Amino acid sequence: MRKPFQAWNIILIATLAILFFAVLYPLLYIFKASFISTDTGAFSLKSYATFFKYPYYLRCLGNSIFVSGLSTLLALALGIPFAFFLARYRIPGKNIIRTLGTLPLILPTFIGAEAWLLLLGRNGLFAKGLQGLGIEMPSIYGWKGIVLVFTLQFFPFVFLMVSSALNAIDRSLEEAATSLGSGKLRVFFTVTLPVVTPAILSGALVVFFLCIENFGVPVLIGEDFRVLSVQAYNEFISELGGNPAMAGALSMILLAITLGLTVFQKHWVERKNYTMTSLNPIEVKRLRPLPTFLIWLFCAGVVFVALFPFAVVMISSITKTHGPVMYFGQFSLENFIRAFTIAPRPIVNSFFLATTSTLIGIVFGIVVSYLLVRKKGAVSYLLDLLVMLPLAIAGTVQGIALAATYNKGIIVLTGTWMILVLAYFIRKAPYSIKTTSSLLQQIDPSIEEASISLGVPPVRSFIRVVLPIMLPGIIAGAIIMWVTTLAELSTTIVLYYGPWATMTVEIFQRIGSGDFGPASAYATILILSVLIPLFILNRVSGRDLASSL
Amino acid sequence: MRVELINIVKSFGALRAVDGISLTVGEGEFFTLLGPSGCGKTTLLRTLAGFYQPDEGTIRFGERVVNDIPAHRREIGMVFQNYALFPHLCVFDNIAYGLRARKIPKTEIADRIGRIIKSVQLEGLENRPPSKLSGGQQQRVALARALVISPQILLMDEPLSNLDAKLRLSMREEIRRIQKDLGITTIYVTHDQEEAMAVSDRIAILNRGRLEQVGAPREIYYRPESLFAAEFMGSSNIIEMDVKGYDQARSMVLAEAAGQSFSFSGPKPPGARVLLSVRPEWIRVVAGPADGEKNVFSGTVLSSAFLGSMVRYRVSGPGGKPMVIEVHDAEQENIRKDGETLWYKLPADRPLMIRD
Ligand SMILES: Nc1ncnc2c1ncn2[C@@H]1O[C@H](COP(=O)(O)OP(=O)(O)O)[C@@H](O)[C@H]1O
Ligand SMILES: [Mg+2]
Repeated sequence: MRKPFQAWNIILIATLAILFFAVLYPLLYIFKASFISTDTGAFSLKSYATFFKYPYYLRCLGNSIFVSGLSTLLALALGIPFAFFLARYRIPGKNIIRTLGTLPLILPTFIGAEAWLLLLGRNGLFAKGLQGLGIEMPSIYGWKGIVLVFTLQFFPFVFLMVSSALNAIDRSLEEAATSLGSGKLRVFFTVTLPVVTPAILSGALVVFFLCIENFGVPVLIGEDFRVLSVQAYNEFISELGGNPAMAGALSMILLAITLGLTVFQKHWVERKNYTMTSLNPIEVKRLRPLPTFLIWLFCAGVVFVALFPFAVVMISSITKTHGPVMYFGQFSLENFIRAFTIAPRPIVNSFFLATTSTLIGIVFGIVVSYLLVRKKGAVSYLLDLLVMLPLAIAGTVQGIALAATYNKGIIVLTGTWMILVLAYFIRKAPYSIKTTSSLLQQIDPSIEEASISLGVPPVRSFIRVVLPIMLPGIIAGAIIMWVTTLAELSTTIVLYYGPWATMTVEIFQRIGSGDFGPASAYATILILSVLIPLFILNRVSGRDLASSL
Repeated sequence: MRVELINIVKSFGALRAVDGISLTVGEGEFFTLLGPSGCGKTTLLRTLAGFYQPDEGTIRFGERVVNDIPAHRREIGMVFQNYALFPHLCVFDNIAYGLRARKIPKTEIADRIGRIIKSVQLEGLENRPPSKLSGGQQQRVALARALVISPQILLMDEPLSNLDAKLRLSMREEIRRIQKDLGITTIYVTHDQEEAMAVSDRIAILNRGRLEQVGAPREIYYRPESLFAAEFMGSSNIIEMDVKGYDQARSMVLAEAAGQSFSFSGPKPPGARVLLSVRPEWIRVVAGPADGEKNVFSGTVLSSAFLGSMVRYRVSGPGGKPMVIEVHDAEQENIRKDGETLWYKLPADRPLMIRD
């Protein structure tokens, strides 16, 4: 018998197939590879045995957990008061502080790392200046630098989650507690804090996740301090031909951690969130001048310390340089001229790859959102799982899995630009799917049915009536995909080959060779390419850009 | 066009939302599916429209079996409960949507839309977006959009339920007028029995996915075949009585409840007990148990309300269940107070017996 929605069934199967081959199969492939001995080709537990036997590997795991845990605690220490002060007290320039406070999370972390190297690295501006004064700064290299960058870049996640929880508290809740005879502090500790605790926990998990999967920061300033993501990359890329089994085993361990965190987040923390619709938000209080100043100093200070390094990078880009030596105060456009004339290829590559994968991602995102929202069924659960899975996979791991899987065999993608596009759209589409599917949820299905009953077939009905309504959300999602793809390093570094190096790869390599001037030029182009579209999006649609991440 | 449903079944998992319905809707007929929320009206209508595939049964439009024809090729006009207007298109483009899909020439589109806009009284609003229309206007656009494609069949799912009470009254008259003008076969869904009676040629009463009764409004009102139909169509007092005898010659049933006897005309009841459905307006309030007056009962007034055109009493009834009694044109009525005794007379010459 002919089924009415046949066209959508074909699309569903095609989508599942793409996800299977791009996400699940590569993971299974390296899972298998991690059990195959590199020498004999037989089944072996050697890689895992090695991991647990040698302190070297175990230390990587320990290091990862240590920097992530410490950074998370510090991010909470900054993010919670930041959110609380902004939500409750009157502070001069609050809106600017709030907007700037979310910026670090869209600026690439490895550029943050570069910036701190420029300031406190061996030839760093401050380091040298302080040395001249006879003050020895603690070294930025190793875990201290990693924790510093992580904390400053990820605290906005805590800030955002806690502020939305705080803003959802209705005035009556705290008033009820007060009327029951609680003092101010008691109200805070017995009512306010417990209500925002799930949000704090959520924020902490997100930060921990981002730290442990991060590659750019530890590889740039970790030096001998090795973490899992960097070690997996080293094993895979090693000049001695690499060790696929060991890289596979390390990837699996990292995957187990990130997956575990995600499952914990989904099934424990998110469910605990109190949903409240706040009718009367809590009054914003005006404090006496001194406390107001202190609070302002804290908030503005945090924002300044988090963003100042990026300004330094931008200044460096127009500063005269000679290798790692920067002549601050002497301006020159040479870095940009070199970037645009001698080596423009990475810029072109980045824009081409980001645009191509975003275009594919848009179509893919729309299709998946539609299937998730409108064609609910047994399969849609699987679809949801597969499409969101990349969010739980470290970029390095995804890169290694794809590169290893499509290295030989019927489909060879490793070493082509297509594998980059594939990785990008698979990894970034979930962001746009979140936006578009929540939008689609608000569109009444009967609008489509009205179109069908007027004689337009189902898929065409979707294109003609649902798509135009969703357009603003689709554009917002596309911009998010585009800018995050542009700033992608960890997957790219594993998958790119020679001519397809992107700006991020170029920046990474130039920092590695101490070539800070050109690195800053590319980084500046990257920063502006990220900020300008988001700024326009914010202006045009009034969307809170960070809410889409 | 005639619409014929033969033994339609549609289940959602274990729930049989439509449970074996057979119906025939005649050419040009205004046919209403009436029933409480959740009885399967929408499911049946959507099966007709082609949005659901029936699990069993056959649907015929005219002579053609349409089970395998997808929704977009069924040539149906459909009006949705929330109107489902396209929010990104103006009134004109909303109405033109179906015509453009049929590749009808521009001049003809303008012509047909001009006519339909006039008939639904939307002149001057052609360029408004739906968000700038009142509920009643949105309703008219939805109707115009469904009708302009000259469908053979018009389906409407509770089209008036989002309007306020006054507008509901005028819109239902208008829908009926347009339907009559066009002579289009219409299947209408509502849970409002008054609305159903006002517009329909025939009504089908649905209960839990099954048909309770099909018939003209008056037929169902005066001769409900089931307890459900009696209670759902208007309000009705249901009295259970013991059968005491049957007078073959005069076709009178003699029955009794709580020691009070009642004889009324009707066929011989099959069992020892009967269920009677007595409409509140059929009961007459009398001064007292006058000599010779038969079928007079008494009860205690539980409450009374003056509603303008009538007084409505709730009185303790013979079965123990309260009875509702309506006295129309009550200017001269001496309204009894709560707790007083009220004497009333049940009608003997009405068809009262229902199938349980
Ligand atoms: N898509 C669906 N999936 C599962 N159950 C449904 C679905 N649509 C309707 N039902 C169930 O079928 C029954 C009939 O629903 P419906 O046809 O919408 O009733 P009505 O329109 O008469 O209020 C209800 O119990 C409803 O919960
Ligand atoms: Mg319904």
